[in-house]
Amino acid sequence: MQNRKPKNSPFRGLDIQRHSFLSDKDCRLIHEGSCQLLEEVGIGVTHAGAVKLFEKEGATKQNGRMFIPRMIVERSIQQTEKNIVLKALDSTNNLGIEGKNSRVHYGTGGQALYVLDYKDGAFEKKAAVTQDLIDIVRICENLENVDFITRPVEPNVQDEDMDLTKTRIFLENTSKHINLANLIQIEKLPEIISMVQNKELISFIACVLVSPLSMAESTTEKFIRFIQEDIPVAISSCPQAGTTAPLSEVGELMQVNAEVLSALTLANLVRPGAKILYRGIPITSNLHTNVSPRWCQPDSIRRIAIISDMTHFYGIPCCGTAGVSDEKEPNPQAIAEKTLSWIFETASGAQFINSALGMLEQVLTVCPEQYIIDDMVIGRIKQLFLKSPDYNLRDIARTGVEEALSMFGVQMDSAMKEEVSSRINFIFSGQEEYSADHVQAQADLIKKAIISGKSSNVFLKTSRSGLRRGWLYSGKRFEGRLELEDLHLLKTEILDSYGN
Amino acid sequence: MDKLLDDIKNNLIAGRVDRQDEGPDGTMEGQPGMRELVQEAIEMGVPPSTIMAQCLNPGMEEVGRLYENGEYLTPDMLAAAESVNTAMTLLEPLLLENNITNNGKFVMATVEGDLHDIGKNIVVTLLRGSGYDIQDLGTSVQADQIVSAIKESQANFLGLSALLTSTMGKMKEVIDKLKEENLREKVKVFIGGAPLTEEYARKIGADFFCEDAFDALNKLNSLKKKK
Repeated sequence: MQNRKPKNSPFRGLDIQRHSFLSDKDCRLIHEGSCQLLEEVGIGVTHAGAVKLFEKEGATKQNGRMFIPRMIVERSIQQTEKNIVLKALDSTNNLGIEGKNSRVHYGTGGQALYVLDYKDGAFEKKAAVTQDLIDIVRICENLENVDFITRPVEPNVQDEDMDLTKTRIFLENTSKHINLANLIQIEKLPEIISMVQNKELISFIACVLVSPLSMAESTTEKFIRFIQEDIPVAISSCPQAGTTAPLSEVGELMQVNAEVLSALTLANLVRPGAKILYRGIPITSNLHTNVSPRWCQPDSIRRIAIISDMTHFYGIPCCGTAGVSDEKEPNPQAIAEKTLSWIFETASGAQFINSALGMLEQVLTVCPEQYIIDDMVIGRIKQLFLKSPDYNLRDIARTGVEEALSMFGVQMDSAMKEEVSSRINFIFSGQEEYSADHVQAQADLIKKAIISGKSSNVFLKTSRSGLRRGWLYSGKRFEGRLELEDLHLLKTEILDSYGN
Repeated sequence: MDKLLDDIKNNLIAGRVDRQDEGPDGTMEGQPGMRELVQEAIEMGVPPSTIMAQCLNPGMEEVGRLYENGEYLTPDMLAAAESVNTAMTLLEPLLLENNITNNGKFVMATVEGDLHDIGKNIVVTLLRGSGYDIQDLGTSVQADQIVSAIKESQANFLGLSALLTSTMGKMKEVIDKLKEENLREKVKVFIGGAPLTEEYARKIGADFFCEDAFDALNKLNSLKKKK
């Protein structure tokens, strides 16, 4: 790719004209709803240090829930650092993440438990081990469209050695920005900082929130320590509509926004001007079957892309999410759904797109060959956006899926083309009204769910009318056989180049 | 009375609990629900066995048929189970007077360090609606507490849930403690949660891995048939 560094920019990334799903008025409504939730429903907080910080600024705690005045939340949004530089060992790999801009970067995601090995034309699933972490980091170091590397799997060493081992593997094998994601033992943070020598080389992701509207105590402790060290952290909240959030898009967006804003507020109470990436992942639950998460279906793709509208509204850097296929192994369905997800997340202008490569089976599995497939498709998508700066998003989405499948030997027939169009239409079609009444109804539902003490039952039951209105996409699968032998050879070539 | 019994059955099929319940398509708020209707039937002197035989059993059969056909989805099943729970709460004291027993005692918990409870709550609701006596210990429950609960309740079944890869290891701790207390042979252990597999269940010595709540119910039903 020619766009490793845009002209006149010291940074990597793809500059695009962003597509908005929501107007500023819609974003304002969601913001108002989120502030109302934080003031009236509150957030469950048990971490003593966090409680103290909130209370010192005028928040009040009752029955384990912290009620946060809007003024503190809005002040924190203002205080949050709007432009972050994520450095790399090779400075040509530095990333400039700017909240108001739309310079897009792609990276890996993780804590997958399993790795797929390709043997004799078939994939074999096994538990991830240390060598897998080394191999994946090396592969990603060599892939042009990987801008940063998030820890894909953990090394299989003793808990006390995990964090240092993982950091060492990154330092030895990549010149790109290192996103360590999580630490198993936060006490290791000073050693890690000393090991990397320059803490600007690393960033983290903190899954502080447990939906609906609670903070996890142990992660809150880690989050506070990262912020104290002035290390950039993505605040991650991943509700599932229909089980841990309302099925309604408006309701889920309001809730995920309130969740991320609560942690963002805490961050700025710890250190005003905190370096935060806003990571809201409002996905849906598979209410058709076993309520498992749907990461890459049209309903989730749309909602995740809309989050970027909220981050641009605030001017806060966005840690996006794309390419997490719901499929168990590389196949045409995985390529099609990943491609749609990358295209809409790219168009949304999310600056730091996490989990973009390698991931399968929601977030449980990664596959070396899939990293290479994903890199090739992302490269192609970037070309499509570059070719026509005033792009037509529907055209790019249609062409993107067709070309992505064709790259691996699958030609789309008319039924497949129809399915692509149907998915694209769903992503574009807002099925709910963005009105003050609807926001209020959803706020009432979230309040009722939390008061009941059985929030998932309330969300599940009340999802029935939305399901009958078609709020969850239901369509056909993309079938066919991928040609993967060349990819396997490419993977072997990359890894062999490292010797032992 | 026939209309009242029909209304009870139809409310179960609609998965409604009470008058505030909006029903499957969001239009039924304000109409009497299971709570009001069953209360009315009890006050009219309808025997609980009639309510069970003419409303609850055929109602659940119809819900099962609609689910099999794909017309009903998971939330509909859950709603129907909640509706049955509501009826059973009112009927239970009367049924106990007639010595009608349930399907067994089931202790349920999300393991220590894990606050996720979606899967657990669905299992609890579904099994309760299917006649199991459930003791729900909640989330982030320590192994000692779980074992104590098994000991005190003399439960036949234990369900352990975990969503996080960092907490699933606690399941083995619970099973080891059951062995230490010589309780392992007395209780069937079911495990469930996104990161778990059949292989993991075997590895830690659990009896069953459950894909979802319906899988748990099917496995319990097959155990019942074996007896």
